[in-house]
Amino acid sequence: MTARRDLAVAVAIWAVLSAIGVVVVLGTQILPVIASREAEVVNGAFVMLTVASVPILMLVVVPIAYSAIRFRASDDDETDGPPIHGHRAFEAGWVVVSLVLVIGLAAFGTIGLLEIRGGPDADLEVRAESTQWAWEFAYPDLGVRSKELVLPVDRRVRITIVSDDVLHSFYVPAFGIKQDAVPGRVTYLHVTPTVTGTYGAQCAELCGLGHTKMVAGVAVLELSEFEAWVAEQQPQQP
Amino acid sequence: MDRWRRPGLARGVLGGVAGFAVGALPIVAAAQLGADIKPGHGLALGYIGAQVGWLLGLGALRFWTAWALGRAADPVDQAAAHGRAGDWTRYFRFTTDHKVIGLQYLITSFVLFLTAGLLAMVLRLELAQPGRLMDGDTYNTVMSTHGIVMIVVALIAIVGGLGNYFVPLMIGARDMAFPKVNALSYWLLPPALLLIVANPLLGGFDTGWTAYPPLSQQANLGQQAFILTFITLGVSSIISAVNFLVTVARMRAPGMSLTRMPIFVWALTVTTSIVLVATSVVAAGMTMLLFDRLLGTAFFRPSAGGDPILFQHLFWFYSHPAVYVMAVPAFGAVLEVVPVFARKPLFAYRLAVLSFIGIGVLSFMVWAHHMFVSGMADYFHIPIMITTELISVPTGIVFLSALGTIWLGRIRFATPMLWVFGFLWNFVIGGITGVFLADVPTDLALSDTYFVVAHFHYTIVGGMVYGLFAGTYYWFPKITGRLMDERLGRAHFWWFTLAFNATFLPMFWLGLQGMRRRVADYPADLADVNLWTSVASSTIALSTLVFLVNAIRSWARGPKASANPWRAHTLEWQVASPPPVENFEHLPTVTAGPYEYGVSASGPVIRPGGATGH
Repeated sequence: MTARRDLAVAVAIWAVLSAIGVVVVLGTQILPVIASREAEVVNGAFVMLTVASVPILMLVVVPIAYSAIRFRASDDDETDGPPIHGHRAFEAGWVVVSLVLVIGLAAFGTIGLLEIRGGPDADLEVRAESTQWAWEFAYPDLGVRSKELVLPVDRRVRITIVSDDVLHSFYVPAFGIKQDAVPGRVTYLHVTPTVTGTYGAQCAELCGLGHTKMVAGVAVLELSEFEAWVAEQQPQQP
Repeated sequence: MDRWRRPGLARGVLGGVAGFAVGALPIVAAAQLGADIKPGHGLALGYIGAQVGWLLGLGALRFWTAWALGRAADPVDQAAAHGRAGDWTRYFRFTTDHKVIGLQYLITSFVLFLTAGLLAMVLRLELAQPGRLMDGDTYNTVMSTHGIVMIVVALIAIVGGLGNYFVPLMIGARDMAFPKVNALSYWLLPPALLLIVANPLLGGFDTGWTAYPPLSQQANLGQQAFILTFITLGVSSIISAVNFLVTVARMRAPGMSLTRMPIFVWALTVTTSIVLVATSVVAAGMTMLLFDRLLGTAFFRPSAGGDPILFQHLFWFYSHPAVYVMAVPAFGAVLEVVPVFARKPLFAYRLAVLSFIGIGVLSFMVWAHHMFVSGMADYFHIPIMITTELISVPTGIVFLSALGTIWLGRIRFATPMLWVFGFLWNFVIGGITGVFLADVPTDLALSDTYFVVAHFHYTIVGGMVYGLFAGTYYWFPKITGRLMDERLGRAHFWWFTLAFNATFLPMFWLGLQGMRRRVADYPADLADVNLWTSVASSTIALSTLVFLVNAIRSWARGPKASANPWRAHTLEWQVASPPPVENFEHLPTVTAGPYEYGVSASGPVIRPGGATGH
């Protein structure tokens, strides 16, 4: 009977701590800056995974803490514990629950992937050109080149990424996503900035001596400001 | 002058130097005649010559060369190569006793661990404050060398060290199946390790341990030191893996059925199966990279039609399973220790064995989760995400087995058990954060950030190194015949654990803030946390000194250990501490499983002509 009571007490502690943990997680902002629709999807995935993590963490922490206190034997105690070799139903339950959990997480992950990588055509195309150790941004439809990435807010942008030397990776933390630049290939990502402001782009794939300093500014502007910026950048018609 | 006449270290070094000259001189000559020669050509051929000369001088090949020349086997020399008890020189020559080789691996691993740990201190010094102390090349070389040396430690410490020492003892064998191959697997390493540690003299390398081309194609000669070391380590691992598998298949004592094998032996069996299948793939990739650098091929050279992403596939097809080559032996060590100190049979033993096998199989289907932002096709993300998350099911079973054993146990918190509890805490964090990296949406944000750095330190240090320490504290009395100091052991555990968590938990946060991995500088608003991390990491290094003092002092003059100080049931504890040269005077007959705590009082062994061990 005491064995059953130990289990009941531990389960109760687990349930209480898990509930507290979930509340704490839901009250915490995980990504510090969320400035794009893609970052919202990513942050949603963070919240879902973190909530799912809390009971799993407690499933390990509660038994080890409980056992360390409750089942501790003195150093001169030479008795053995009960010869329990396993518990078929419990083992089966553990495996089935973890399988179901994993399939659920993978399904959510797939939906998130479709939201970020799929979707409609873009309103604007920008080419991010990487080289050791700098970024340059070309706007093929507008005839503009810039050292800074300037984007209009709430417009879906397709950023194609190229490199002329080694691997780089285009990473804007505020947009929540990154994509490697691969010499000989054209890679891409879609981003829809949702908050105006200035952010940073950085190279996330080790590219040698100047990797640390391979950063660029990102500005998200209102559409009218963006159009003014484009007009300013465009070579004057003769 | 006698030392030059016999095979040994001195003649090995001489052979290595001579071999380097023989290998490199033709290249120098060809350069004089106007051939398009780079220093890399000389280094590659010189290194091969040096390895051959070293092994010949050391006497590592003498039995096989004698056979090839048609000479009769020399039983006196064979016995001498096995070594005599109490002869310390056997640790410094080509010795075929698995226990000597195990200790050679173990001590080598600790030396490398300390070396690479000091390099980490240099990294944390640079990162303690925003701004730069050292130039970019120096930082990248220190970072890359720290990475690859620690990878070597993680790959060889438990498998080569504890595995070599204890697998034959635990299955009731007198040695490994191929003792000379076993010694060869160790003695291939010193030239390679010397080369990688000396890479800064060759200009260093700046690609991290992943060596992605095209950067690795344009990098310094130090890069080539890295490639040659990597390939050598691969050869050593493969022959060692064959040896383990044959040993477990053919050398078990009567009655040691597969279902009675200690869980640590099962872990090593699965681990070495992974090594055997995966290693040649990365060796091929590294060889192609070497050819791209030296012979003008274009496997990974985009300007000539090659594909840099192909390298990533070859690299991770080995290097993700390699993570389990590090982790599964630690699972084995931890599950080996738990029943002894909980005084209960290992919970769900058969399911745990199946989970190891499941991890081994699944480990080959998850490699591309390292490449979610690499530019590979989008649809390939989905199956890889599913298989990667699936591997948490068998890994979860390891927890089930450990927690089920602890539950209702009679737990003794001797030092080995503390490391088990530390392992469970660290590895659940490492495992959960691994799911964030397996899930594509979150990985798009986290890939190549400090979140990844924190995650793999929680799995490799928090998992593998904790398994290593659990095993080392557990088996120290068996290896040395002396008990370790429990108070210093406990101090080491608590200090290391607090310092380790204080260092790496904040790195998850840094990653979420967008701090990239492998950078020498960061925005000023991350300064406080980085300073904290740097200070905390230096205390990890200091805590290791407690272990060193304890190990050296206990080894020299600790209290004598009995044959079985922990009252464990497995076979290695049924022989003297330290075990005699041939392990068992009479091969034991095994009559029951290894963890029958609460069923019988001691290990289930019948000796020929003797009473049962019950």
